[in-house]
Amino acid sequence: MTRPGARRFRRTMVVLGVALVVTVLIAVAVGAVWIPPGATLRVLGWKLGLTGHPDGVDRAAEVILLQLRLPRVALAVLVGAALGVSGMLFQGLFRNPLADPAVIGVSSGAALGAIVVIVLGGASLAGGLIVTGAAFAGALVTTLLVYGIARVGPTIQVTTLLLAGIAVAATISALMSLVMSFSGEQIRSIYFWLLGGLGARGWSSVSVVVPFVVAGAGATLLLARDMNLVSLGEERAAQLGVEVASFKRRSIAAGALLAAAAVSVAGVIGFVGLMTPHLLRLLVGADHRRLLPAVLLGGPLFVVLADLAARTVLAPEELPLGAVTALVGAPFFLWLLRHERGRAAGVA
Amino acid sequence: MVHRRIGGIAAVLLLLFASCGETAPPRAEPTEQPSPASAFPLTITDDDGVEVTIDTEPQRIVTFAPSMTEIVFELGLGDHLVGVSGPFDDYPAEAKDVEEVGGAGDFGVDPTIEKVVSLEPDLFLTIPGGDQWKQRLRDLDIPVVTLHADTLDDLLEDIETIGSLTGAVEDAELLATRMDTEADAIAESAEVVGPVSCFFEVYYPPLTTVGPNTFIFDLLERAGCDPVTEQAKSDYPEWSVDELVADGPEVYLVTPESARSVTAVAKRPGFAGIPAIEDERVVLVDGDLVTRAGPRVIDGLRQLAAALGTG
Repeated sequence: MTRPGARRFRRTMVVLGVALVVTVLIAVAVGAVWIPPGATLRVLGWKLGLTGHPDGVDRAAEVILLQLRLPRVALAVLVGAALGVSGMLFQGLFRNPLADPAVIGVSSGAALGAIVVIVLGGASLAGGLIVTGAAFAGALVTTLLVYGIARVGPTIQVTTLLLAGIAVAATISALMSLVMSFSGEQIRSIYFWLLGGLGARGWSSVSVVVPFVVAGAGATLLLARDMNLVSLGEERAAQLGVEVASFKRRSIAAGALLAAAAVSVAGVIGFVGLMTPHLLRLLVGADHRRLLPAVLLGGPLFVVLADLAARTVLAPEELPLGAVTALVGAPFFLWLLRHERGRAAGVA
Repeated sequence: MVHRRIGGIAAVLLLLFASCGETAPPRAEPTEQPSPASAFPLTITDDDGVEVTIDTEPQRIVTFAPSMTEIVFELGLGDHLVGVSGPFDDYPAEAKDVEEVGGAGDFGVDPTIEKVVSLEPDLFLTIPGGDQWKQRLRDLDIPVVTLHADTLDDLLEDIETIGSLTGAVEDAELLATRMDTEADAIAESAEVVGPVSCFFEVYYPPLTTVGPNTFIFDLLERAGCDPVTEQAKSDYPEWSVDELVADGPEVYLVTPESARSVTAVAKRPGFAGIPAIEDERVVLVDGDLVTRAGPRVIDGLRQLAAALGTG
């Protein structure tokens, strides 16, 4: 295993940070309606308190920038961070590079929760926040169910957890197909949850997700050291003083919370949780204390870029974000796997 | 199907009609409306059950449905139209020159919110569906009005509602009255011939038709047809070919969007035994005239009556 030094870590962080800032600016500046970059910068500068109120920028442009594009990009950042960190937690926990939030059924549980509310006709209540809440509840209930199945006495078998997650997710998929066949006209709102997307979301969704992402990332920071030890093997970690059972519980809780927050506002977006941590591990090494900050920049970078592509490639038509992340992510990931195989042998 | 509330009369009307439910609200009396100049601000409850207030007479209208576009043009408000949904807004020809706002969402059938905002509309007219983006538009202070017509009578009410919303009250009344008279004339001559059993194909495959609570069904009945799909439970049910053969419709109606030609229909497996096929009474009808709840449905009615032999 390569152990890149502190310099390489710092360099990666700087590159990711600059790339994220630039991407965010482009994502705010570009959209279905053309707004001159100068006007965009002046409005942003004004909002950041750097300059006075921009004269000559029409109100529609201001609304588009501040009420449509900014919250959308902010949400992309949060969803990317949440999915990335969640993926990192599950990969560390399962010591399996193929793990991601979907394996414990979080994503499908969230989608089922949302779909049931939509079919029962609650989609327009409380500005759609009922659906968000239901998605969240669905995600947590599924996680608890999978966890309950896999738990034997005080310990959980990681393999059983993985298998239980897959089986529960398959059951939920079947339930969703069933619900959808009775859904009639609501099929479109339902597809949103299955394909994922950040359209039609405003600041209210951002404020719903922020606390969960902050709490989840904070909890992960506290788990990072133990996660390094657990990657040596559970017995070894226990010998080194890690309370493995409690570590597993806390990791699952944090991972599920993060994934639930992301899915409840953006639907099921695949590949971010799988790819981001994996990719960054190749760059900064397997130390979770370094991987976490890298994922907090890399996850958002990936989702903001994917969303930018989703809404500009065929503009004004928008592509489903979940399809874009998989379509862009998967081939790149495969290329990288081959390219880095020699150097990365032994990682995870 | 809209409860109207204009000034002081409104509260009383609302109290009276509130208990009637959405299915059968009595029509508001046109004579009780104040003159167009004093009609604003105007508050209505639309067919999504949402209360909308229009502050001043709209100068920048976006229509998000071809039927709405046709109504707005027919009322002489084409100059105020700043946005339409997309390429399907093709009538009248001027509609094709108006900016398109559609194409977003997972199915490409939602409006691009940015585009709508950039047009700064003071009225956004649409049909049911898309609760999420509608809420988003409302949050951005764009007045969204949803109107839905299940029947021709509903449509005439909707046209008058659009008239009140846009300050074109008199034009809307004239249009509604004219359409009503023409539809009655068609129905009267159809009654003389007596009902003909028919089947209306929306889509194939799978064979999909219209249920009794749809706009097309209402038109079919008015044109003198007795649709064999009377007992259908949903609005656009799938219909098995077996059942169709057992129903034995005398006339088979289909749009060019669903079948390329009359002979293509006859060649479909199992269709040979249907009376309409045997008697060569399969007729292609212009879908736009019967599916778009707009001013041209009268032409649609005439076309249906001609196809049914009742006109």
